[in-house]
Amino acid sequence: MGLLAVVAGFRTDAEDVQAEDVDCLRRLASGDGDAAVRLYDRHARALYSLILRIVGDEGDAEDVMQEVFAQAWRQASRYDPSRGAVAAWLLMMARTRAIDRLRARQARPVTDTLGDEHLAALPADTRDAAADMIGAEQARRVQRALGALPLFQRLAIELAYYEGLTQREIAERLEEPLGTVKTRMRSGLLKLREALAEGRS
Amino acid sequence: MTPSHDDLKAHAGAYVLGSLDPDERATFEAHLAGCPECAAEVRGLGSVVEALARSVPQRTPRPELRARVLAGFGAQAPTTRARGAGGARQWLPLAAAVVLSIGIGVYAARLQVRVAVLEDRLEQARLQAAAAETAVADARRVNTELQSAMGVLAAPDLVRIDLTGQMPAPQATARALWSRARGMVFTATNLPPLPAGQIYQVWVVPAAQPPISAGLLMPDTAGAGQTYFNTPPDIPPPAAVAVSIEPAGGVPAPTGAIYLVGKPGATS
Repeated sequence: MGLLAVVAGFRTDAEDVQAEDVDCLRRLASGDGDAAVRLYDRHARALYSLILRIVGDEGDAEDVMQEVFAQAWRQASRYDPSRGAVAAWLLMMARTRAIDRLRARQARPVTDTLGDEHLAALPADTRDAAADMIGAEQARRVQRALGALPLFQRLAIELAYYEGLTQREIAERLEEPLGTVKTRMRSGLLKLREALAEGRS
Repeated sequence: MTPSHDDLKAHAGAYVLGSLDPDERATFEAHLAGCPECAAEVRGLGSVVEALARSVPQRTPRPELRARVLAGFGAQAPTTRARGAGGARQWLPLAAAVVLSIGIGVYAARLQVRVAVLEDRLEQARLQAAAAETAVADARRVNTELQSAMGVLAAPDLVRIDLTGQMPAPQATARALWSRARGMVFTATNLPPLPAGQIYQVWVVPAAQPPISAGLLMPDTAGAGQTYFNTPPDIPPPAAVAVSIEPAGGVPAPTGAIYLVGKPGATS
């Protein structure tokens, strides 16, 4: 207990959140509804924002949110902490499902050009300070680092992550050699990692 | 031929971004299972991906979504239903019940701690208010530019125009990716250093009209420049794109020497 208390004293916000999240998932697996509520309240905003950024439509984003949490309820017992934080696990599921939705929609005839206007017309955001704290500083650091990348390195990363294009698709679209796209993506990511690591030290 | 470890390790970045082809991904995942070094690389890059996920504009979902998502938990909860009769019924009013039964005290206490930390940070931020505002404005500007540039690349009417160096700069090359609706991404290399008081200006040249300025280009010390131009959507498709050297601040119609010029080639 003594050691635990000492360790707890050194915990950062992120570690705190992770410990609570792991506890939530454990209780979820045994059917605890309160754990479901807490998990939703802590992560809904970050997940919804990412999904909306990718699919660009509120209705679709809400459907995807429901899918993501359904998957989280289902797979709570399979979560493996050695592979990353719960938040990262949820964000990964959100990104994957959002890209699936984007692709499914693109396979249908394109009828909507509403996306951007629709997004712009959304009401001004209400701030949720507590939820924002987590990772907000990291996000700002990445935004700054992204801004400092050569444009085409940044594009390679963002086209991959937010638009779901494979390296091959990016290369075809830009009519660049595949090797060039791979190199850009890799150098860009390594620079972002450096920028994040600098912030931590 | 089996790819080497180094080849595979180079896949880690594309893997975490979800940008590998399905067969490449399968190969990499098989390797990952037995390679601690690559597994560590993937974990290390995971923090970058999480930060990417969090760097998007934050939006609060509609409150109605909460009840809908939580009702889904009640409908599912397989372990609960397995516990015996009444399980499913017990879960039906969950969405409503949990909204009220959340441990308000615990939650409030936790919030209070976070708010205290936040206030601390806010105070620090206030002290650097001017710097912070500039940084935020910069970030917004860059972000808007980037999203516009991505819009160009995702545009169905994308036209690629390769530019070749002219007499004053035979080594220079450039590429314009142009969408009528969404603007132009322009990238140039090997441009000669600019004399003081001069700037490169990019021109869209329609078939039977005078050139239209797309914007100014300031290359770095290596002669490379990349930028996004929000070209007017109502201009006719370019018969050519050109770059001239002009007085700083730019001019309404080209006056200086042409450094680069190119015509539309392949479309994609």
